[in-house]
Amino acid sequence: MAWEYSEKTKQLFMDAVHGKPGTHLGEIENPDGFGEHGSLACGDAIRFTFRVRRHPTDPTQDVITEARYLTFGCTSAIAASEALCTLIEQGGRTPIEALKITNQDIVNYLEGLPRQKIHCSVMGAEALEAAVFNWAQKRGVDLQSLGVDLHTDERAEGRIVCKCFSLSEPYILRKIRELNLHTIPEITNAIKAGGACMTCHHVPGGLQDLLDKTWGTGKPQLKVLSQLPILNDVSAKPVDEEQPSLSTYQFGKKIEKAVDQYVRPMLRKDGGDVEIVDIKGTLVYCRLVGACQGCAHAGQTLRILVEQTLKEMVDERVRVIGV
Amino acid sequence: MNVIYADNNATTPIAPEVVEAIRPFLTTEYFNPSSMYEPARRTADALAQARAEVARHFGLADPSAIIFTGCATESTNAAIFGVVRANPNRRHVITTAVEHPAVLGVCKELEREGCEVTFLGVDRDGNLDVGEFIRTLRSDTLLVTVMHANNETGVIFPIEQLARLTKETDPAIIFHTDATQSVGKIPIDLRGELQNVDMLSFSGHKLHAPKGVGALYVKRGTRCRPFLIGGHQEEGRRAGTENVPYIVGLAKALQLAAEGFLDENTRVLGLRDRLEKAIGERIPHIEINGRGAPRLPNTLNVSCHGVEGESLLTQMDAYGICASSGSACTSGSLEPSHVLRAMNIPDAAVQGSVRFSFSRYNTDADVDRIIEAFPEMVANVRRLSPYWDQAKNAPRLG
Repeated sequence: MAWEYSEKTKQLFMDAVHGKPGTHLGEIENPDGFGEHGSLACGDAIRFTFRVRRHPTDPTQDVITEARYLTFGCTSAIAASEALCTLIEQGGRTPIEALKITNQDIVNYLEGLPRQKIHCSVMGAEALEAAVFNWAQKRGVDLQSLGVDLHTDERAEGRIVCKCFSLSEPYILRKIRELNLHTIPEITNAIKAGGACMTCHHVPGGLQDLLDKTWGTGKPQLKVLSQLPILNDVSAKPVDEEQPSLSTYQFGKKIEKAVDQYVRPMLRKDGGDVEIVDIKGTLVYCRLVGACQGCAHAGQTLRILVEQTLKEMVDERVRVIGV
Repeated sequence: MNVIYADNNATTPIAPEVVEAIRPFLTTEYFNPSSMYEPARRTADALAQARAEVARHFGLADPSAIIFTGCATESTNAAIFGVVRANPNRRHVITTAVEHPAVLGVCKELEREGCEVTFLGVDRDGNLDVGEFIRTLRSDTLLVTVMHANNETGVIFPIEQLARLTKETDPAIIFHTDATQSVGKIPIDLRGELQNVDMLSFSGHKLHAPKGVGALYVKRGTRCRPFLIGGHQEEGRRAGTENVPYIVGLAKALQLAAEGFLDENTRVLGLRDRLEKAIGERIPHIEINGRGAPRLPNTLNVSCHGVEGESLLTQMDAYGICASSGSACTSGSLEPSHVLRAMNIPDAAVQGSVRFSFSRYNTDADVDRIIEAFPEMVANVRRLSPYWDQAKNAPRLG
């Protein structure tokens, strides 16, 4: 893909490559903070170091004075590293303040990144976080007591979802929420998960499952057919203990009776009627006929009149579907 | 001799505007859209623009829901096999007996691979029974694949209703429709009335784009494994270097189709109806197949009792009229139309079926010439037919 890099991105990359004064290529010796993210196998990697002006008594008041990077990666990975260092050195931040720099800040500084390259900015933010955690360890700062999430669960035994890039379930779930990712391509663009062999896209427990787990399936959560309490599908396995004592036949009779007694008389007053097309589990398929057919209020009639009546008279789990 | 092309459900002439849109990409703009250098960006841009245009045609805001393929058959194969492979927990598939072989054949293959497939029948007019459809939905149903419009009869299925019933019954069931015959002929809104459709297949050459390009719509979050594997193209969902020229052509053709919907539904419908009426008046013992169902505006399927369709096509061919038939002799498989047979139309009438299908390039003069010539052609072969009672001028049962 011929990438749509912004002028700013291309400029930062060129400056860095030519070692222009003011760029941040390099590694600080004996740094106060050291963080890495990515690996050769992943196709890009950053080693990020910073130095602080140490506060004599309170290490949380340390101020970052210098930041350097060594980056293996594409144009935007290098430009994003430059952006990260520049942002960090601005305004005399403490390491804890620096944690507030997000990948979006890096994207903004670069005046945009192609969506497939968002992961370069994420990589920068991840390396920064790692470096700040490293600084805290060295300086004896308890980040957790200061309200910083150390994502310890991810370091523990998180199930690896994306094997190509060694990304665990807790990590991916966190990134889905943090970066507001809604599709598999968005995940791949942001954190590379699923970008190589693609096996993890739709396997059970794969990326789509993690998306569904986070956002739902985008539809009101109707029970899938196999979870319905009653089924006229004899091949189906018996369902949960919620199963009413009524047989399918008895249930059908009861529905029929309720419709005859309570629903039809009301509809007939207006010259309409209802036909029960089928009953499947607790789903009752109805077709309005006569004057009700094509009536603008047909949907409401089904839901309010028919469904409510059946819920009250037969079973509260009844759901009416208009045919 | 001027050719009267009345076989647009088989393929269509390429629109001149489409040819113009494609031309640069066959000549100077040959770059691979996946390449890094600046000139390749132009082809990548053209690809992105085409995708956005196609998405817009279906009312979609998200272009990435459109995957370009090589043809509608690839789209249906990718959709059906992809869904079955991605969802091993369910094994029941529902389709109809009148699908195009690109769906029917795949479904028969699924049966060999251990799936259970329900083939829904149709009535004499080609309509599905919605009640029967509901009855076939099961707790292990994975996929419903029902065509939008039938290629032989033009009968339109109530996809909106079927997709809604499917999703209201069980949102986990995936709904695919083969819309090869309807795209470009009638408006399709995948965020409006067809919002419950998860996947939709179609091709370019039925709507005045070239052969060799198709597309598959896949709604966000639909579980589907890729069919062609081996590259990052189409976000890994369809590997293979993108056919940029034809994709550009497809987008242009859809744009022209949208501009022509009014024409299709008035003028083209007028051509079809005029032919239908004239044939009815001039030829005894015919049947219009699918007349009692909603139909595409461009399709006329007529059965002439007592004759064999191929003999009509040969006469028409000699006269410069291109049409097709559901008779066994023309099918290549020695089997008469499975669609007409599923409609329970008697074999004799199936064998004598002829399909005329029009497009925006057909004129009144085309229809005049068909009206002028066709009745005599039918009479010609009826005179030779052992299944025609010459004295009564009526079919004789074989």
